[in-house]
Amino acid sequence: MSEMKILDKTKLVEFLEKLMPDFEVTVPSYNNGNLSFSSMAHARPEIDFAGRPLVPPKEYFFPQQEEMFTFATKEGKATIKAHINKDKRVIWGIRPCDLYGIKTLDSVFLSRYVDSYYHARRENTILMGLNCNEPCEAGFCSSMGTGPFATNSNAFDLLFTNLGNQFLVEIGSKAGEELIERRANLFATASDEEKNKSNEIEKQCKQAFLYSVDQDRVKAALTKAWDDPLWAEESKNCILCGGCNFICPTCYCFNIEDIADEHEQNSTRVRYWDSCQLGGYTQMAAENTRKTQAERLRQRIYDKFSYVPARHNGAIGCTGCGRCTEVCPSEINITHILGILGRQK
Amino acid sequence: MTENIYAPHLVTIEKIRNEAEGVKTFTLTFKDPVERESFNYRPGQFGEVTVFGAGEAPISITSSPVNKGYFELSVAGVGKVTQALHLKREGDIIGFRGPYGNGFPFDEVKSNDILFVAGGIGLAPLRSLINQMFSERNKFGKISILYGARYPALLCFRDDISRWAELKNSEVLLTVDTAPDNGWQNNIGVVGSLLPKINMNIENTTAFVCGPPIMIHFIILDLLKLGFKKDRIITTMERRMECGLGKCGHCNIGEKYVCLDGPVFSYQQLEELGENI
Ligand SMILES: Cc1cc2nc3c(=O)[nH]c(=O)nc-3n(C[C@H](O)[C@H](O)[C@H](O)COP(=O)(O)OP(=O)(O)OC[C@H]3O[C@@H](n4cnc5c(N)ncnc54)[C@H](O)[C@@H]3O)c2cc1C
Ligand code: SF4
Ligand code: SF4
Ligand code: FES
Repeated sequence: MSEMKILDKTKLVEFLEKLMPDFEVTVPSYNNGNLSFSSMAHARPEIDFAGRPLVPPKEYFFPQQEEMFTFATKEGKATIKAHINKDKRVIWGIRPCDLYGIKTLDSVFLSRYVDSYYHARRENTILMGLNCNEPCEAGFCSSMGTGPFATNSNAFDLLFTNLGNQFLVEIGSKAGEELIERRANLFATASDEEKNKSNEIEKQCKQAFLYSVDQDRVKAALTKAWDDPLWAEESKNCILCGGCNFICPTCYCFNIEDIADEHEQNSTRVRYWDSCQLGGYTQMAAENTRKTQAERLRQRIYDKFSYVPARHNGAIGCTGCGRCTEVCPSEINITHILGILGRQK
Repeated sequence: MTENIYAPHLVTIEKIRNEAEGVKTFTLTFKDPVERESFNYRPGQFGEVTVFGAGEAPISITSSPVNKGYFELSVAGVGKVTQALHLKREGDIIGFRGPYGNGFPFDEVKSNDILFVAGGIGLAPLRSLINQMFSERNKFGKISILYGARYPALLCFRDDISRWAELKNSEVLLTVDTAPDNGWQNNIGVVGSLLPKINMNIENTTAFVCGPPIMIHFIILDLLKLGFKKDRIITTMERRMECGLGKCGHCNIGEKYVCLDGPVFSYQQLEELGENI
């Protein structure tokens, strides 16, 4: 285990404020009763919250819509300008499930061909995680191995555990370590007693989960579930809103599109999130290769539990955060679907 | 700083040829001399073409890698980007990034007899391979090319076709679904109806199939019935593509991305992926 520090809870805001001149500091905060990530420049950080913000921090690395290039064409000449965002950012209070989500995005955007847009944002962002003292309402991270406490398979620079009056702080990277060193007077070295306390919280939290999913049984069931009637049954009320994908911390699909000005001399190339649950996702000139909602739901579940693991050394593509269930207006429920699969012989 | 994988290279349209009804062939050269010299590809690979202001579309490279200094794309104008490309003139600048994908097997099928079955614009990627094979003619056995379109005006690459038909130990058979009564001398019927008209040593033949999905479906059934082994039937898959680089998610068949692991697959591979052909 890496080195552990102690930060007095009353000093967290001071620590974060000291980072504000160098970074855009982003924290969980209540807006109209909803918890969401906001800039500390105009929001008070929420320190003792339970659960996670409804919207994951994905957009800081892979925005819902981003400009990739601007093109100018004039009299037989063309110029191309790329827009790479290098803003320095610190995000505090990211739950383990979302730290794992970032790890999943890393494996997509940083493997084989490196995506410069994602890479620049990721390089310039410090991740400060926050372990969960109690399960959130719909979460099943514990059985996915992604939470409620982060491990090496989650991405973080610093990891906070709420011990009551103090935070135990685990150092996950050189960049995280440097931030602490520069504010060394705020931190103390953690004792064994404090570390034990953290282990105890972890143990109790893991026992309190309402939902669990048998990952291995789900994976095994998927090898035989291609033609199962469950896909049609579970998708029959889908209204094609795409919410399950847009809210998901591991979904990475996007479209690329050019927007031209009136005279078509200048144009902007943007990319924006797409959803495999929408009919147009596989639309081509001659045909659509996924015609039914049953095939589209099957794609979503197979991608998370079969295809992503196959492409990325077995790492599961679902964090177990339960958000897709929470936002679905038609009550399509991922734990229910995984439960059916897990019970199959 | 890593290279921006999405950045198009500037290319000049040197020549535009009307290939068939609704299809144009573009001869392109990279503006950057270094890129022009180093650009290399395998038949079956493709690239993302940019028409500035309209967007990007994945298009197969139809020229053969033996042609140096330039490359060709044959494009059917079917939508926003491809129609905008059809409006371009010689001398105009467009964008291109690639080559992407795996490409056809070449060394692996040397000394085989080769059967090509193509429909419409599906001949474009195969043309690249056919011309490369003819440039090393003595390394392959008999080469048979079966090509069809809905009607005669949709047949592409007429110059290549007449040249291929002249070459030794090769045959080219053409067909159309329907022909107007003015002078169509060849077969009428779907492209599969040409299969019984050629002699094949099936044991030693590898088949390359490319065309609309429905054609691929029936040709594969025909070939299996004739006794072709599943791994000797090679085809290219078309899927909606946005990135060409395994990021945007759109083109997956099972755990594979058509843009990275394809677009060329054997029928055996497709069956293992659970794809219904
Ligand atoms: C590997 C590969 C190689 C290819 N090689 C060639 C080639 O050599 N030559 C060639 O001509 N073509 C080729 N194609 C096909 C070519 O890429 C498409 O025809 C092209 O992308 C169409 O783009 P477009 O902008 O012109 O059409 P679009 O404007 O995108 O529209 C095409 C059709 O799809 C529909 N559509 C598009 N997006 C959506 C959406 N989001 N929702 C609903 N409907 C939608 C439109 O209604 C339209 O009918 C290839 C494709 C692949 C994958
Ligand atoms: S899913 Fe797990 S890690 Fe995420 S908020 Fe809920 S309890 Fe915490
Ligand atoms: S699939 Fe659902 S439960 Fe899994 S990570 Fe995505 S939103 Fe969370
Ligand atoms: S085209 Fe984007 S993943 Fe294949």
